[in-house]
Order: sequence, then structure tokens, then C-alpha cells
Amino acid sequence: MKFSWEYFFGTFPLIAEKLPVTLSLTVISAGFSLALGTVMALVNYYRVPVLTQFLKAWSSFIRGTPAVTQMFFFYYGLATVSALVLNMSPLVAVAVVMSLNMSAFVAESVRAALLSVDDGQKEAALSLGMSNFQVITRIVIPQAVRIALPPLFNDIINLFKMSSLAFLVGIRDVMGASKIESAASFRFFECYAIVMLIYWFCTIVLTFLQRRLEKRCSAIYE
Amino acid sequence: MESMVEVRGLSKTFDGSTYILKDIDLNVAKNEVVAILGPSGTGKSTLLRCLNYLCEPTAGSVRVGSVTVDAARHTGSQVRLLRRQSAMVFQSYNLFKNKTARENVMEALVTVQKKSKAEAESIALRLLEKVGMLDRKDYYPSKMSGGQQQRVGIARALAVNPNVLLFDEPTSALDPELVGEVLNTIRQLAEEETSTMLLVTHEVRFARNVASRILFMEDGHIAADGTPEQIIDNPGSVSPRLQQFLNFVSK
Ligand SMILES: Nc1ncnc2c1ncn2[C@@H]1O[C@H](COP(=O)(O)OP(=O)(O)OP(=O)(O)O)[C@@H](O)[C@H]1O
Ligand SMILES: [Mg+2]
Repeated sequence: MKFSWEYFFGTFPLIAEKLPVTLSLTVISAGFSLALGTVMALVNYYRVPVLTQFLKAWSSFIRGTPAVTQMFFFYYGLATVSALVLNMSPLVAVAVVMSLNMSAFVAESVRAALLSVDDGQKEAALSLGMSNFQVITRIVIPQAVRIALPPLFNDIINLFKMSSLAFLVGIRDVMGASKIESAASFRFFECYAIVMLIYWFCTIVLTFLQRRLEKRCSAIYE
Repeated sequence: MESMVEVRGLSKTFDGSTYILKDIDLNVAKNEVVAILGPSGTGKSTLLRCLNYLCEPTAGSVRVGSVTVDAARHTGSQVRLLRRQSAMVFQSYNLFKNKTARENVMEALVTVQKKSKAEAESIALRLLEKVGMLDRKDYYPSKMSGGQQQRVGIARALAVNPNVLLFDEPTSALDPELVGEVLNTIRQLAEEETSTMLLVTHEVRFARNVASRILFMEDGHIAADGTPEQIIDNPGSVSPRLQQFLNFVSK
């Protein structure tokens, strides 16, 4: 079969129109994984007993297994033992898995940023009579944010790509749409070229934004 | 004379067996300027840091101003009250990097003393002027030299109007040409302020000129305690180790 430009341009909008599904999955999971990952990072930062050890094992598990395996284990595996998962809509299930997965990476980015603030500044604040809460909110976090933002944005780019898992449980995101179109027309090359280009384009835009963010961040407090 | 610092039976061990501070007793009167000398690793910083509990003593009690804290039974709120009695100037300045010179000086006034922004600001500007940093008030630490950062560090310590000022080698991290500006600032304070100071330093000549009393530390205890004349001008009659140390650092 010859590459058909006509088919390519005709199908492009059909696939691209599913971009909102992909993007909303990304945005929602980004929100949850940022919140969850930050809590995990704080638990680690304050070395909360028991929880710290638990999160360490959890993080090793998440980072040591493929996201697609986690997706299947959660959606098909856990569904056999949990009514909650069984009755879950695919969209929610994917968002849950993406959030849980990415929170482990977010936790690592945030943890490293918190640790980048030197003990000397904390000692100076404490020596003046500031409370631990004041130290973390007024001294540590403002500096950590600046360090954390660039790697966190990277995590979001990864999340955007990870959202392609959604098609595995029947969601019509851009990946799902190209699978369906190609199954109907047998024009696999065109369909998957389209979806690759869409992902690539979006990632280029996100990376561009990340570069600017990185510049802005390194210029604060100077 | 009113006593400002009183240390009783202070001991510190990090590992449970080697004692960094061994049963130290120390009294510092109001307005005394005490320089602490001694070889590296003898516990000078640890002693100073026990006074504001940045380092938690293993045993003994510490009183600064009106607040006493006993190592055996201390609470977080007692420690915070103790810390409000003193202020520390650090070897590595430790300015808050997310705050300008002015904001660094204002920080504790607003967060600890609950002063209004306006009041804190006017105090900050007055103190920055005093240390000669008024023209740099809106600079972040990353844009200041070491000497400038340290002078802001001194202004930050003065801002809380502490009963006792603690200096831990305030000039050791500075390039030689910047040491003078910081020592001058401290000397000026020692002369004109009615404040009590404890100052760990390797600048023997400076200690000789500025301090009213000198402690010499050795192996976690105070090996000699006297006036600058006694300790620095006639070390031989105090102890051979002191003489050796002074010969070594003055080279
Ligand atoms: N957090 C710590 N954990 C373990 N040992 C420590 C700690 N802090 C200090 N020490 C040890 O305590 C001893 C005294 O340290 P301290 O910093 O008080 O010495 P110092 O007299 O200030 O020396 P210097 O002139 O080098 O600053 C050193 O042997 C040091 O290794
Ligand atoms: Mg020291």
C-alpha cells in the first residue's frame, strides 16, 4: 500500500480531536501526583518513622516495574478482588495508575529540592527562634520550588507520554483513536505516523516551556 | 556584676563514648566580650552551639539571660525561648538565600517577635546602615561578597536585640582582604554597644584588642581563662600548650 497523503490529512483531525482526552488525563494526574508526591517527599524529609520505610519500598516497586504492567495489574488484576476497581470507569482507573506511578518520581524531585537547601540556613533561622514550620515554609520551600520546577516539568512531560496507556483499557485518546482508525482502514503507517507527530509536537512545545521555566527559575533570588 | 550566661556541668558526646565537651562550667557577666581560642577540634563551636541548642548537650544546664534549660529535661518551647536570648553569626554567613539583605534582617523581627512590617523595616534599615550595607539592602546574598554577606549576618543578629551575641569564626571563610571590614564592624560593636559577646576566633591580635576576657580550650575543657594580658601577653606562665598554640597561630 502506497503512503496516502490524502488519507493522512483526512485522518489527522480525527485523531487530533482526541487530544483533549490525552491532555486532561495528563493535567488531572499531574495535579494528583504533585500533591501526593509532595506529601511523600515531606514524609521522607522529616524521616517520619515507619512511613518513610514504607514509602521507600513503595517507590522502589513503582520505579522498578513498567507502567503498562501496573496498569494491567490494577485494572484487570485488582478488579478480581476489589469491587471498587471493578466498577471503576477506565478513565478514572488510568488517572489513578498514572497519579500513583508519577507520584513516586515527583517525590524524588521534590525530596532532592528540599535537601538542596543547606543546613546552615536552617540553623540560622532556628537560632533566631523561628519554629520548624516557619523554617520550612519561609526558607526551605521557597528555595526548593525553584530547584524542583524544572525536574517536575520533566515528570509532567513523561506523564503526557504515559497517558498513551489509556488506549489499552479502551479509552479513545489520540493513541486509541489511531488504533481504531488504522484497524478500519489498514493504513497503519499513516495512522501511527499521525499520532507520533502529535506526541512529538506537543513534547516539543512542553520542552520549550520547560527551558524558559528553567531560565526563569535560575534567575530568581539573584 | 549581673551574670548573662551561666553554664553548669555541660557535657557533649556525639557517639556516647568520646566527650567533645567535658563538664564545663562558665559564667559570663553582662557586657563582657569573651574570645574563645584553641586548636581545631577542641569543642569551641560545640560549646557555642550548646548555648542556643543548635547542638543538644548530653548533660548540664545552660542559662542565657533569664532562660535556663537543663539537658535532662528540656522542651521544644523552652529551647525556643532560650534561642530568643541570643543571636549567632556563622562562619559561612548562612544568610537566607531567598531573601534580600533587608529581608534577612527583617525575618526574625516579623516571624519571631511579631513586629509589624513597617517597624521591622525601619529597624533593618538602621542596622544595615550601621554595618555599612544600606546601599546593598535590595541585593540577594548571591550578589554580595563574603564580607558583605557577613556584615548583613551581623545586622541580622543585632536586629533581634539579643542579650548575647555569639560569633563562630566570623572571618574564617573570608578572603584575606575582606577580613578587615568584618573585624572592624565587630570591633565597633564591642566598643559602642552594651552587649555581651562570645567570639570564637583564630585572630589572636583581634582578640587581644577587642576582648575583655579570653578562654583557651583544649580537649573539650576550658584550659585557661583570664584577661588578654594574662593569656596572650604571658602565655608561658599559664601553660606550655597555650604558648605553643599562640606561637603556631601567630605565624
Ligand atoms: N555533628 C557531629 N557529629 C559527630 N562529631 C562531631 C559533630 N560536630 C562536631 N563533632 C566533633 O566534635 C569535635 C569538636 O568539634 P568543634 O566543631 O566543636 O571544634 P572546634 O573547636 O570548633 O574546631 P574548629 O576550630 O576546627 O572549628 C570534633 O572532633 C568534631 O569532629
Ligand atoms: Mg569550630
